[in-house]
Amino acid sequence: MSDYAVVGKPLPRVDARDKVTGAASYSADVRLPGMLRGKVLRSPWPHARILHVDTSRAERLKGVHAVVTGRDTAGLRVAFVDTPRYPADEPPFALDRVRYIGDEIAAVAAVDGETAEEALRLIRVDHEDLPAVFTASGALNPDAPLVHEFDYPGKTIWEDWGARGRPESEPVPRTDNIAARTYVEFGDLDAGFGGAHHVREDRFDVAPVAHAPLEPHAAVAFWDQGGKLNMHVSSMGIFYKRFVLSKALGLPISHVRIHKSYVGGAFGGKIDVFPYEIAAALLSRKSGRPVLVELSREESLTTTRMDFQASVRVKTGVDRNGIIAAQDIQVVVDTGAYRGTGPVVVFLCYSYNIPVYRVPALRYEGLAVYTNNPVKGPKRGHGAPFIRFAVDSHMDMLAEDLGIDMVELMRRNARDQGEVMPTSGDVLRSCGLKDSIEAAARDGGWEAKRRRSVWTGSERFKRGVGLSACSMFSGSPYYPFASAAVLKLADDGGATLFAGTVEMGQGSETTLSQIAAEELGVPLSDIRIVSGDTELTPIEFGSFLSGGAFVTGKAVRLAAEDARRQLLEMAARLLEVDARDLEARDKRVSVKGAAHRSLSYGEIIAASVKQANGDPIIGKGYHKSVPDAGLHPSLSTAKGRWTEAYGFASQLAEVEVDTWTGRVRVLRVVTYHDCGFPLNPQIVEGQIEGCVSMALGQTLQERVDLREGQVFNPDFLTYRMPITHDTPAMVSGMIHSHEPHGPFGAKEVGEGAVSGVMAAVANAVYDAVGARITSLPITPAKILAALAAAGRDGPRERE
Amino acid sequence: MKHLIQLTVNGQTHDLVTRAERTLLDVLREDLGLTGSKRGCDLGACGACAVLLDGRPISSCLTLAVEASGREIVTVEGLAQGGALHVVQEAFVEHGAVQCGFCTPGMVIAVKGLLDERPHPEDAEILEALSGNLCRCTGYVKILDAVRTAIRRMSGGRGCEALAADGSDLRPSQATRDRSGLAAPATTRESRA
Repeated sequence: MSDYAVVGKPLPRVDARDKVTGAASYSADVRLPGMLRGKVLRSPWPHARILHVDTSRAERLKGVHAVVTGRDTAGLRVAFVDTPRYPADEPPFALDRVRYIGDEIAAVAAVDGETAEEALRLIRVDHEDLPAVFTASGALNPDAPLVHEFDYPGKTIWEDWGARGRPESEPVPRTDNIAARTYVEFGDLDAGFGGAHHVREDRFDVAPVAHAPLEPHAAVAFWDQGGKLNMHVSSMGIFYKRFVLSKALGLPISHVRIHKSYVGGAFGGKIDVFPYEIAAALLSRKSGRPVLVELSREESLTTTRMDFQASVRVKTGVDRNGIIAAQDIQVVVDTGAYRGTGPVVVFLCYSYNIPVYRVPALRYEGLAVYTNNPVKGPKRGHGAPFIRFAVDSHMDMLAEDLGIDMVELMRRNARDQGEVMPTSGDVLRSCGLKDSIEAAARDGGWEAKRRRSVWTGSERFKRGVGLSACSMFSGSPYYPFASAAVLKLADDGGATLFAGTVEMGQGSETTLSQIAAEELGVPLSDIRIVSGDTELTPIEFGSFLSGGAFVTGKAVRLAAEDARRQLLEMAARLLEVDARDLEARDKRVSVKGAAHRSLSYGEIIAASVKQANGDPIIGKGYHKSVPDAGLHPSLSTAKGRWTEAYGFASQLAEVEVDTWTGRVRVLRVVTYHDCGFPLNPQIVEGQIEGCVSMALGQTLQERVDLREGQVFNPDFLTYRMPITHDTPAMVSGMIHSHEPHGPFGAKEVGEGAVSGVMAAVANAVYDAVGARITSLPITPAKILAALAAAGRDGPRERE
Repeated sequence: MKHLIQLTVNGQTHDLVTRAERTLLDVLREDLGLTGSKRGCDLGACGACAVLLDGRPISSCLTLAVEASGREIVTVEGLAQGGALHVVQEAFVEHGAVQCGFCTPGMVIAVKGLLDERPHPEDAEILEALSGNLCRCTGYVKILDAVRTAIRRMSGGRGCEALAADGSDLRPSQATRDRSGLAAPATTRESRA
């Protein structure tokens, strides 16, 4: 299909050898002379006024080197969203109030972890309990306690980048717990619903789940003599971390350096700058020693963001052919004690939904609500899993109402290449959505396996199939808005690639190296990559919003193209031909049609140094995430460009329901992902398989058990993720839609396939036993209850 | 109360003084600088800290260092010999069974522990042996592929082509498009172009 030598090949990962031998270093593996251990004191109260924090006994404990409290960060507020409309709301350490169980009060650095923990026990906190609220609906009640009494408008961190400023003002009293609202309306709703052949409305609920990467969060901080802060962090984008850390600590951005660490999984949960990271920096500055803060599993799960608790109401009007005429969607999420990414997720629930089906008239409202629960943040798919669960469960119900096959209903409404997204103007330059629906249905045996006829049969185990589709950005306008890359050629014609990507499991070191190797015309083994270090690499967009391959990959390709152009120009001088008559391959440049007239890359580079005044040939490339976008789209109106390319995925689940126990066994998940072009099919498969597994966890078993703000399952014994036994058969196929703006046609792959699984499984359960489960997770208890309600509970029939 | 203990780790003997309550994981990571074994949960629930103790995989976060005194410990750092990867490590590299890599040391140790004891395990035994090792990245599919290849190769079968030490061999993945967990028979499908 393609005659590429390196990209498109399932080559082994460049970081795999370090990882199988234990040589790969993660932040908690860093060992520095004199390094102290930091620990964080957290609120045991969901909502309380802090009257006094007395650290004197802790400071006197032998082995304690530094203590920080809210006094050290007074006036500082940090947040992922920090805009004129949504000013930062999270003080790194509590000054006068704590708002959730886990909220940071103080931190200690000591010679070892045990001493630091003992010191925490010596800190006295005088407090006064405040009334708390633990559900979004409760928090929307007019007489609910206010989680935040004031907004603190002032300079946003984006003003250097042209964000609209707002004069610093006195704190503005708040009157409700609404943390953010997105509202979009277009088309003629009244006509759409009024003229519809059929209208239905459904409500769906989603429990919060945890990211649970295997690596607990950790940070190392040390300062050098010039007053520069050095850190190893658990991150997904080192330039974003550097930017926020420099703002938070009042340092020039060039005085913060993030050093490379491998990251042990992130899934969205490591993008924010967290109080423990600020604590590490401050403790190190106070003590004059390096400090490692390594969070426990419980802290990682409860205090470094989790996915949203959400409820979604969907109302759709369709014509007699099932074509959507109008849609009305409301999403309400509990965003927790601080905004986290609440304003983003209620925007994304609109933005990740709209590329799937054509909707001529829409009203969408998204509300993020403060509560005294742990803070919520982006988790793989960031809203797409629950909006797609809701909309495609609802579509399956519409399909049944109308007597139209779900595949057919999806196909009739699915968007095509060339369509323009409402409110953003984004264009689907590539769109393999319909191909993916058809491929998933075909390979999943849709026609043969639909079994609604067996609902009333007496057999204990019943099987069914279900389908869903989803969509995802390929990067978005967000700091640092662009990626750059440098390719430095070596004497032997090999090259070192400098790219700021963070290798957190997604395989970016490998795919970026493949892009450089392909473009330069060398084998993968000739590329060495330097990544993950803000000092050694040019800016990088980061590995979130699924922009890694699309944005950084493009910059790398341009850097390699630049180096290759320079090689050809030098060769043209040496061979005395026009550069256009040359071709580069296998580390040689030769004259087209006269292969004997050729030079090795090594010879060209040596000649360049000798004849071009020392020029060693260094390629440079850069690419903006959304070239014609402003700073960022409006989160509240969804206006403004969002992304350059959308990835799509369609997923079919085949399940077996045990009608006696209510247990669902997933037999097979078929995914067809339109990733444009798979730069490394093995890595793409790995991303899909990981998405499917994580999604099945959320669909069937995972739920953060929150009661009055307390997490009752903060560890891996009680928070049960999928294990080996839970692995279904997977078909992980790819649609090659060749995105014209992507490097070698590539676009998003790492997040999309997490979002179709929920509705696919819910629809399959319905197909199997006729029980419609509208809330996640789909537990045996819910299935038994639904079967009983339908008069189809197996055991009773049996007896 | 401090104890004098003797740990033999990856063939090298260390005399150490340690408090009784310290875990083997702490001593490996903090005192011996062997950070390959990971702390994922400190509860024996994730398997990232697995090491071989007298040949058996154990959670080093649940084992006191004093309990390991006088016994043989193998960590992930001790598997490769003379720069050559162990067959299990090699299979993990080839199959893309590694993503973020944080579970990998414990996973590799658990597989080695299994295969040392049962060179030809049934699929169900593989699932059971690895059921205490969590992986959040891979969905286990490629890990199970890698284990099967390692089994074939250790029993003399070729499995896949050997991988050049510098990783330069451009050998395609042998993964099929339908990698089963063990629940359903694998069939091969081409992805649509």
